[in-house]
Amino acid sequence: MGLHHWPYMLAAIAGLTIVTVATRASFFMLPAQVQLPARVERALRYAPACALAAIVAPGVLTRDHDIAIGWGNDQMWALIIAAAVYAKTRNMIVMMTVGMGVFTFLRLVV
Amino acid sequence: MTAVRDTWIPPVDKPAFREGVRAMMPMSLAITVWGVVTGVAMANQGMSVPIGLLMTFTVFAGSAQLAVLPLLAVRAPLPVVWATALVVNLRFVIFAASSRRSFVDLTLRQRILAGYLNGDLGFALFSQRFADDPDRGSPVQWGYFYGGALVNWVVWQAASVAGIVLGGFAPEEWGLELAAYLALTAVLVPMCVKFPAIAGVAVAIVVSVVTVDLPMRLGLLVAVVAGVTVAMLAEHLHGRHARRRESTI
Repeated sequence: MGLHHWPYMLAAIAGLTIVTVATRASFFMLPAQVQLPARVERALRYAPACALAAIVAPGVLTRDHDIAIGWGNDQMWALIIAAAVYAKTRNMIVMMTVGMGVFTFLRLVV
Repeated sequence: MTAVRDTWIPPVDKPAFREGVRAMMPMSLAITVWGVVTGVAMANQGMSVPIGLLMTFTVFAGSAQLAVLPLLAVRAPLPVVWATALVVNLRFVIFAASSRRSFVDLTLRQRILAGYLNGDLGFALFSQRFADDPDRGSPVQWGYFYGGALVNWVVWQAASVAGIVLGGFAPEEWGLELAAYLALTAVLVPMCVKFPAIAGVAVAIVVSVVTVDLPMRLGLLVAVVAGVTVAMLAEHLHGRHARRRESTI
């Protein structure tokens, strides 16, 4: 377990703090001549979306390194429904409630 | 105290500061939900309270924190942890590029603090409010920015601390890890508006699931490279298709 290893966590947090400031303040530090090329900007737009998808998908679609796509995967159905609700409403609280509600319903009732 | 403040914060216009506070207030409920979810996820994975508190106060980036949690739990190599957070945070580089003219002439410390605070909501409000403002940084702009940032920071940290303290008590079968994935999905969905982004995300999903066995969680970065490549390719083809259609009309 990494979470209980103090030196590992302190090093991780130090690096993560630098990553936050380095990205958010990035262009505040650069001279005005340095512009963001349009192509690079578009790549930067796609990367976070792909990264988020690549974090969520294995978390919900796999169990112990095996693909677990199927009717029995409560988390998967809850997430699909919640994502659809969010795409329509753009309301985070509604989406959370629906997602956790569907999950709990499937877990306890179905 | 004033000297310390001036070192880190540029002069702010008080009415603009209050306007920034009022603009961010309606977001408090959403920020609270996010903060609690992030705090609970950290505690639920087994992070100790002191480490959790240190992380929330220093890192201050909910989506990056949630993204690296599964990596930290399996003690993934630190470069992979940092690279993952970096990729999730790349959107902030665009934010910084588009609001730079208001901050670029500040002192180094002021720019560092402004960067630390320039998250999703702060940037969204700031860029809406000053879209047509020709000023290259003014006490009105800074006042609005720091007013919003203060509310965002305080509400987020309060919620996150509550989540860290309470999260350890929540039983595992409640499936609170799903709440963390839902929170990340809420950031992801608005990014999937056009075809290239959707294509890239679809590829990233497939690749990340197929490569889940790769050592050191490297599958994640492989999925990002594949997804971005496909998105750029899709955009290129889509653009050519659109141009051809225009030329035939």
